[in-house]
Amino acid sequence: MSPARLAIELQDLRLRVAPLVPDVDPGDLLLILENLLRGPGSGRAIFLRQDRPGVYVF
Amino acid sequence: MSADEDFIRQLARALREARLEAVLVGTGAAILQGVPLLTEDLDLLVRDTPLVKKKLDRLARELGGAWIEISPVTRARRLVGLRAGVDVLFDRIAGDLRFESLRARALRIRLGDEVIVAASLEDVIRSKQAADREKDRAQLPILRDALRVKEAAAQVPRRPKRKGSGR
Repeated sequence: MSPARLAIELQDLRLRVAPLVPDVDPGDLLLILENLLRGPGSGRAIFLRQDRPGVYVF
Repeated sequence: MSADEDFIRQLARALREARLEAVLVGTGAAILQGVPLLTEDLDLLVRDTPLVKKKLDRLARELGGAWIEISPVTRARRLVGLRAGVDVLFDRIAGDLRFESLRARALRIRLGDEVIVAASLEDVIRSKQAADREKDRAQLPILRDALRVKEAAAQVPRRPKRKGSGR
C-alpha cells in the first residue's frame, strides 16, 4: 500500500473507530489502526536489542 | 517484510520442517496482531513429551542456534545465537492456560510463504494478567486498548473500495 493510500484509509478508519473507543489515546489509536491496516509482514520492527546496559537499539 | 518479520518467518519454516506443533505466546504474538510494542525475545509453547524434545533439537539445527536452560528452577529453555532469543515453555503458561486450549483459540498468521500459530490477543492478556510481573503490568494498558480497537474496527462498516485501487 502506498503511503498516500495508507493515509487515506487510515484517516477514514480513524474517523469511524474513534467514537467507539473515546478513551484510547489518539496517537495509540493511529498506531494500532495503522498496524491493523498494514498487517503482518509489512515491514515492522519487532525486536528491541540491548546494545549495552541501559541502551536499547532496534 | 522487515528482517525481524523474516526471522519469525524462518522460525515458522523451521517449526514446519521439524514437524513441531508450537504456539507463539506473549508479546511476540501480540505484536503480530497489531499491538504497538517491541520485545527482546519470542516465547513458544509446546507439549512436554520426549518426542517434542527430539523435535526441539531438530529446530535448533534448522535455525543454527543452541539451547541453554533459563534457570535451574524452570524446565523452560532458550535458543540462543539467533537474531532474537526464542524461549520454549512446556504445556502451560501463566493463568493455567494449557497448550490445547491456547492452540484451539490461536490465530494462523501468514508471513510470506509460511504460517505461524499465535495465541489470541485475549489469551496474551489473560497470561500477562496472571503473571503480574512489573513488565506485564506495564504492557497491559496498550494490550487492552489494542484489543478494544481491533473489536471496534471489526464493527464499523468497511469503506467501499475504489475501482482501480488495485486492492
